[in-house]
Amino acid sequence: MKTMSASPVEEAVPAVTHTPAAAPILVWDAPVRVFHWLMVLSFAGAYLSAESEHWRLLHVTLGYTMAGLVAFRIVWGLLGTRYARFSTFVRGPRAVARYVRVLLQGRPEHHTGHNPAGALAILALLGLTVVIAASGWTTYNDLAGEWVAEAHEAAANLMLLMVGVHIAGVVVASWLHRENLVRAMITGRKSGQPADGVRSPWRTVAVLLLAGVLGFWWLQWQGAPTGSGAASPSTAAVQKHGGDGDGDAD
Amino acid sequence: MNLFSLSATFPRALAALTLACAALAPAARAVTPAEQLAGYTAQAGAPASPARGQQLFTNKHGGEWSCSSCHGAVPIQAGKHASTGKTIGAMAPAFNPERFTDPAKTEKWFRRNCKDVLSRECTAGEKADVLSWLMTLKP
Repeated sequence: MKTMSASPVEEAVPAVTHTPAAAPILVWDAPVRVFHWLMVLSFAGAYLSAESEHWRLLHVTLGYTMAGLVAFRIVWGLLGTRYARFSTFVRGPRAVARYVRVLLQGRPEHHTGHNPAGALAILALLGLTVVIAASGWTTYNDLAGEWVAEAHEAAANLMLLMVGVHIAGVVVASWLHRENLVRAMITGRKSGQPADGVRSPWRTVAVLLLAGVLGFWWLQWQGAPTGSGAASPSTAAVQKHGGDGDGDAD
Repeated sequence: MNLFSLSATFPRALAALTLACAALAPAARAVTPAEQLAGYTAQAGAPASPARGQQLFTNKHGGEWSCSSCHGAVPIQAGKHASTGKTIGAMAPAFNPERFTDPAKTEKWFRRNCKDVLSRECTAGEKADVLSWLMTLKP
C-alpha cells in the first residue's frame, strides 16, 4: 500500500513517541472531525428515532447519511492526511494485544494518532455501519424477510455497545496520558513534536462534506409529504408558508 | 499490507454474519388470516366486531394520526406513509394475499403502529376487531 505518495503528507510512520509533549500540533484534519461529529449526531438520532413511524423519515435519512459518511471516510482513509489514513492506524492483532498488555501494566504506549485498540474500535464501528445501512435499506424496501429487520436491530445494538467501548477507551486513554482526547477531536490539536503535526487541516473538504450532508437532508425533507418527518399540523402550516431552510432544523 | 488483509477479511465477516442471521431466523410458520383472527378472539375471550375494528382503524384517538393516515380509510389499495411518502401495500387480505400470514410480522406491526396511533399497545380484542373488519373487505 505505498500508492499514497500523491497525498498531502510525508511518509506514513506509526507515531510512537515517549518524548514529553512540546507544542500543540494538528493531528485530526477538519474532514475527520466533521465526519466524527456527524456520525455521532446521525447514530444518536437514528437510534432514538427507531421505534416510531412518526420519525421514520428522520431515521431513514440519518441511516443514509451514515452510509454516505462511511463511504467518504473510506476514501479519506486512503487519501487523507497522516493520522486519517488506514495505513497509519490499522494494525495486526499482535500490536493490539501488546498495547493492551502494556496498558494493563500501567505504562501505556503513547500514540499521536489512534492507538491500536482504538483503531480496532474504529474499524468495528465502520464495519457495523455498513451492515446496519445495508440491512436497513433492505428492510425499508421490503427486499427480504423479517430476519433482516432483526439483524438490523441486533447490529444497531452491537454498535451502541461499541460506541460505549469507544467512549470508555477515550476516557481511560485521556486519563492515562493526561490529554483531553475529546477536545482533540473538536480542535484537532494535541501536544506533540512539531515534526509530527499535519500541515493542512483541509477545511475545504470538510466544508464540502458538511454541505453535502445538509443538502441531502434538505432534499429529503423537500420530498416528504408533509415537509417534515414529524410535522404536527401547526408546524406543517408554518412550513407551507416559509418552507426554506427547515431541512436541517431537526 | 494491513489494508489488504482488511479488505480480504471484511467480505468473509459479512458472509459469516449473513449466515449467522439466516441460522437464527425463525422458520416462518405460514398461517391464514382466519387462524390469526381465531387466535386473537380466543385470547380476548369475546367475539370480534368488524364495526368496532373500522372505528378503531379510522379514528385518531386524540392523536395526530389514525391507521388510515398511512393505510387509507378503506385499505383495499396501496396506502402512502404519512411521514416518508413510501407506498404501503393494501392491508385487506383479499387484496393482498401476503397480509396476516406471518404471526411474528403481524405482532410486530400491531405493536409498532398501535403505539404510533394510540400511544399504547393494542389489546387482543382490538386486534381481533381490526382484523375481522379487514377480512370483510372483498373485491
